[in-house]
Amino acid sequence: MVIVKRKTLTLAERLYLPEILRGMSITFAKMFKPKVTRQYPEEPLPTNEVTRGQPRLRQLIDGNLACVSCGLCEAACPAYAITIDGQETDRFIEREPEKFEIDMLRCILCGFCEEACPKDAIFMSTELELAGFTRASLKYDIDKLKRTMPELAPRMDYIKRINERW
Amino acid sequence: MNDFLIILIKTCVIYGGLIGAAALMTLAERKFSAWMQLRYGPNRVGPWGLLQPLADGVKFIFKEELCPDGANPWIFRLAPILSAVPAMLTVAVIPFAGDVTLFGVDCGNLSITDLDIGTLFLVAIGGLSVYGVILGGWASNSKYSLLGGLRASAQMISYELSLIMIILCIVAMTGSLDLRAITESQNTGNPLSWNVFSQPLAFVIFVIATFAETNRHPFDFAECEPELVAGFHTEYSSMKFALFFLGEYCAMIVMACLTTTLFLGGYSVPFWEDAPWFIELGSFCAKAGFFAFLFIWVRWTLPRFRFDQLMHLGWKVFLPLALANLLVTGAVISLA
Amino acid sequence: MVNLLFYAAALVAVLTAAGVVLARNPVVSVVSLLSCFGSLAVIYLLAGFQFLAAIQILVYGGAIMVLFLFVVMLLNLGGLSPEAEDRDDPLFHDRRRSAGGLAVAVALGSASLIGILRGARHLTEPTNGFVLPAEGYDALPALAEAMFTRYSLPFEAASVLLLATTVGVMVLAKRQRSAPPAGEERP
Repeated sequence: MVIVKRKTLTLAERLYLPEILRGMSITFAKMFKPKVTRQYPEEPLPTNEVTRGQPRLRQLIDGNLACVSCGLCEAACPAYAITIDGQETDRFIEREPEKFEIDMLRCILCGFCEEACPKDAIFMSTELELAGFTRASLKYDIDKLKRTMPELAPRMDYIKRINERW
Repeated sequence: MNDFLIILIKTCVIYGGLIGAAALMTLAERKFSAWMQLRYGPNRVGPWGLLQPLADGVKFIFKEELCPDGANPWIFRLAPILSAVPAMLTVAVIPFAGDVTLFGVDCGNLSITDLDIGTLFLVAIGGLSVYGVILGGWASNSKYSLLGGLRASAQMISYELSLIMIILCIVAMTGSLDLRAITESQNTGNPLSWNVFSQPLAFVIFVIATFAETNRHPFDFAECEPELVAGFHTEYSSMKFALFFLGEYCAMIVMACLTTTLFLGGYSVPFWEDAPWFIELGSFCAKAGFFAFLFIWVRWTLPRFRFDQLMHLGWKVFLPLALANLLVTGAVISLA
Repeated sequence: MVNLLFYAAALVAVLTAAGVVLARNPVVSVVSLLSCFGSLAVIYLLAGFQFLAAIQILVYGGAIMVLFLFVVMLLNLGGLSPEAEDRDDPLFHDRRRSAGGLAVAVALGSASLIGILRGARHLTEPTNGFVLPAEGYDALPALAEAMFTRYSLPFEAASVLLLATTVGVMVLAKRQRSAPPAGEERP
């Protein structure tokens, strides 16, 4: 059994009004404190290499994708957001994606594709904003997904670092 | 003809001011609440968000009008009108300033009318605004609305009693029901002759009772979001909802004006007995603005009462205190 | 202008008064009664009795009707069911008591009517009737004098009539509730 001990109130507390005035002085003082709200579009969210934004594809120096269209990310994706059609290529890696589509409306930014990729071809970028007028426009194809190496470099280093831990 | 024109202009100016003030008040409510919670509040529409009420109004107009199934459509439509109109009518008797002379034309006193039963008119018409809440709650055919309406009716009647007792004290001191006479009796150039100093207890009770009378925090049992969704206006949408809103804010402004007139000397300026009318108007607006701010301030400070606590406070604390205050006031007046 | 306003207000008052009795929905009745009081207040205003108009709205409109509405909403009266209109109710069949009640009602009603008519006759005689004061609540002493001297009989009769109505309503409401549902024994 729990016995709750009630605090005996002083006369000022029982009169109620002094306590109300005390509370009101607190709220009044708060009005002049600095605001904590972020003015979002003008003040974007801070991002760093740990930020798990939308997945993006890594381009090699020659401009081709690092992806070999093995389909592991497609299989790992819990939201079935990724669609890949592969094709043969004359390059050394022999296969490349003909079509690589991520439906950003389905993507849940979980990062499983990034973990599944054996060729370090897909990374979670720091890009978080997603808006469009049609559903089709939010189905990103290769042109919208590809990013140069310098853009993805911090994330690549970070992933390499944490993978080295085991 | 000239008199008629002057009265017409005064009415337009005062009602325009009232509606404008009510619109501004909705913005102020959101702004001050934001500041007290370390936020910015609306700041996107116009400079400092000043055009936000306009945007809200446009939004309200374009919202879909709903009438719930099984609701009584006529009473459902009547209720918002009954809520807004009495609140706006009462401003007619409030004296905002003394004699106004504009472009060399003597326009008389700055108030729509100086009714010699002004206080009575204000209380009588103000008391009607409870119907909007009750009928709106009943006609919505919703259990939450009905409970909100019932609570509002019980609450407003309980607190109106103390409110009228307090007004009686002031009326007894002044010997007039005319709000301008009440103001003039305090307009001696000495702030100590304001009624707040001779009737401090009455002032406190009156201010708290106005909160209950306008259904504001910490007594907003007619709405009471955690228990009743939105209380009496749960089922209302579009402009009908906006009318309830307008009624609430107009009632707040009128109550702020009334408190100013009864206790803070209305438009009287401290240490300046015959101030020009615009100084008087400024003085009135400053005082009424403080009470309007008080409504917002208290709302964002205090938690809501419990309903039985409200009734306890109204009937067992305020009413006896108000009656005792009236008794003492009467005794002092008859002895002096 | 004033005449026109008076006839409009009077028309509204009569129509809404009829609405009070004719409406099937008790809340509609209450709203009609409220508008009836409002139009009465307008008539008082036209007669120069500002104080009386304000009191009419304050007391009847602001306080009493709210209580009515409160009670009506709490009771949540539906339409009368056929069982409730039970013609076998002994109350409806006790001719002697019904006749007595009717007689008292007629007596009180005619007493107030006669009193009002008598008072009204005086109004038309400028030497004897009371003069309508010009403005505001200065009219109050004259009003009080009229109510407690010339019109004291209809005033008292009306109040007794109201009391009788209250008692009658109590009796009717009680009967309806204690009447056992059809085919069921009283416990």
